[in-house]
Amino acid sequence: MIIAVSGKGGTGKTLVSSILVKLLSKKDKNILIIDADPDSNIPEVLGIDVEKTVGDVREELKKDINNGNIPPGTNKWDILDYKIMESIVETQDFDLLMMGRPEGSGCYCAVNNMLRKIIETISSNYDYIIIDTEAGLEHLSRRTTQSVDTMLIVSDSSRRGLHTASRVGKLTEELDLSFKNMYLILNRVKMGNEAELSKKAQETGLEIIGLIHDDKDVVNYDLEGKPLIDLPDDSEPVMVIKKIVDKLL
Amino acid sequence: MFSDIPVDVSPMHEGERIRAANMFVELAGPKSIGAELVQVDESVKDGEYKVIGPELSDMTKGEIYPFCIKIDIKGEKLEKELEGVIERRTHDLCNYVQGFMHLNQRDQIWCRVSTEAIDSGFKLVDLAKALGILFKEEFPIIESISVTILTKKEDVEEFVNKAREIYSARDERARELSDEDVDVFYGCLMCQSFAPTHMCVVTPDRTALCGAINWFDCRASAKMDPDGSIFEIEKGEVLDDVKGEYKNVNEIIAQKTQGETDRVFLHSVFEYPHTSCGCFEAVAFYIPELDGIGIVDRDFSGETPLGIPFSSMAGQCSGGKQVEGFTGLSLEYMRSPKFLQADGAYERIVWLPSEIKESLKEFIPKEIFDKIPTNEEATTISDIKTFLKEKNHPVLERIENTNDGEEGIEATGEIAMEAEPTNQEFVPVASASEMSVPTSGGVKIIFKNAKIYAEKVIIKKK
Repeated sequence: MIIAVSGKGGTGKTLVSSILVKLLSKKDKNILIIDADPDSNIPEVLGIDVEKTVGDVREELKKDINNGNIPPGTNKWDILDYKIMESIVETQDFDLLMMGRPEGSGCYCAVNNMLRKIIETISSNYDYIIIDTEAGLEHLSRRTTQSVDTMLIVSDSSRRGLHTASRVGKLTEELDLSFKNMYLILNRVKMGNEAELSKKAQETGLEIIGLIHDDKDVVNYDLEGKPLIDLPDDSEPVMVIKKIVDKLL
Repeated sequence: MFSDIPVDVSPMHEGERIRAANMFVELAGPKSIGAELVQVDESVKDGEYKVIGPELSDMTKGEIYPFCIKIDIKGEKLEKELEGVIERRTHDLCNYVQGFMHLNQRDQIWCRVSTEAIDSGFKLVDLAKALGILFKEEFPIIESISVTILTKKEDVEEFVNKAREIYSARDERARELSDEDVDVFYGCLMCQSFAPTHMCVVTPDRTALCGAINWFDCRASAKMDPDGSIFEIEKGEVLDDVKGEYKNVNEIIAQKTQGETDRVFLHSVFEYPHTSCGCFEAVAFYIPELDGIGIVDRDFSGETPLGIPFSSMAGQCSGGKQVEGFTGLSLEYMRSPKFLQADGAYERIVWLPSEIKESLKEFIPKEIFDKIPTNEEATTISDIKTFLKEKNHPVLERIENTNDGEEGIEATGEIAMEAEPTNQEFVPVASASEMSVPTSGGVKIIFKNAKIYAEKVIIKKK
């Protein structure tokens, strides 16, 4: 099952992703998180270190090719496959693949084509895949998220957050991408503001699946640099997302 | 067939990855050493499968061990040259074994055994056995096979060193592989999403323009993804081995580019040069004033002797357009012995960015190396000309020949006009590799590699 979490930067995508990981990892299944947002801080909220991203691997390979360092009798698919596997951070509960920085100048058709196939193969080995995708609609338009089952769009109460959410929704329709489910999660909602915001959110045309209030724990964890994955089970964000998970599975 | 092997053996397990959380042990890989090697050996004992060093049952869960797979084969029709091809299948065949992960090849392999496989009683000797059976099935020319797995550190170290020598000897041979040695070229349409009328032809002597894929990669790719954008082209009839023209290549290009291009010379910038998607690492461009060829790469940001930067030049000759006098190429192609061989190879090159020149030091003939100016020595045509004269570049003969003989008749038989540079200050107005002028009376005038200069340019509002 593939769940993509999308939305404008800073709306709480990473919070949602990390709690999804926390909850799903209790089910003793194989979980892969693909961080497709170059600006994200997924490793921090999960409490792990990342040495290398797919972007780094891609640049390395390009460099090796340019310098003629690849032995002629070997093939780049295999080399890339190895290097991507090497870049995966493996923990007992989940594995993480960081997409990293976007490509530089030059042609990446061949490398990206290989990458797509390799990541597809890797992904087929996991029960749950969570993709944290960047706010820009790059991944949607490039159809890298085509096989996604559920798209969760996160927005805060800002107009721009909701605007991005509805754009994601519309683009999905235009590109004829078929997700089984697509929902909106409202985050960082002020107490008492629920009804008004829900009304506004309905204009996006997306079904609201959860509402998370401004959360003290989250703010404190962020301030102290504590991984959000360690949020207590009885905190509001964890409880809200638990309901979502129960509904999705 | 695999009844005495405790795990399933089938192609459906290809692509199986074993997470660190689910693995029993890791073999070879980035934190240890290992290798695999297939060799033709006349003394091979058929069906001998053994493990030298600790078996899985002697290993500790979660640890990493050195690991080698030594495969010896014999067969009447087996030649040493086939070792590499056969060895490449090790990766796929190992992955047929359920609960065994195998990545990459040669001395860069990385394997894992799953805890599930261990629970079913899987041993490394089972892997050896499975490989023996699978290889014989896959390659009927293998009559006898033995597989030895090494897991003792000293043995592995010794074996890896020996294997590396063999790999480099093979690479030496692969570097020498040329267009004549193969029956199949490859076509690549990976860039057709934005260059719908471009097809790359990849041959042993000519890597794809993007530099990312060579003939070997294409062969692997066509096998791995037969419906993908890389496919075989039977080489077929050779029309011109110097220019690199092949009947089948022409036919397939016409078919795959919707008739946009129906003839292509693989090793020339003239007449029917190879088209470009836009991905090329460098562009070779004809400089009519010098009757020579300049090369500029993507990383060079300055102006070329044609007065335009790489980006503008790239725009002119990309998108699958066949533009005489321009061809996109990969840096690797500049290391090929067939590099623009129809045009005179490096003897025709009159300008290069300095970085490229330095990186090609071993590949540019010694006697010509110092005679080619870079952006550090000259950037304008007159400066280049002075430099070429100073160093006595072989292209000078060509310039003299053209000047002495009939003015501007090219080898192609088309009439090319060459304007003598004047001392007046003229402003460049336009520059195009091909430009036609509307005329009447059944005549069409085409300027090739045209540059238009004017004393004055007046821009008026209509």
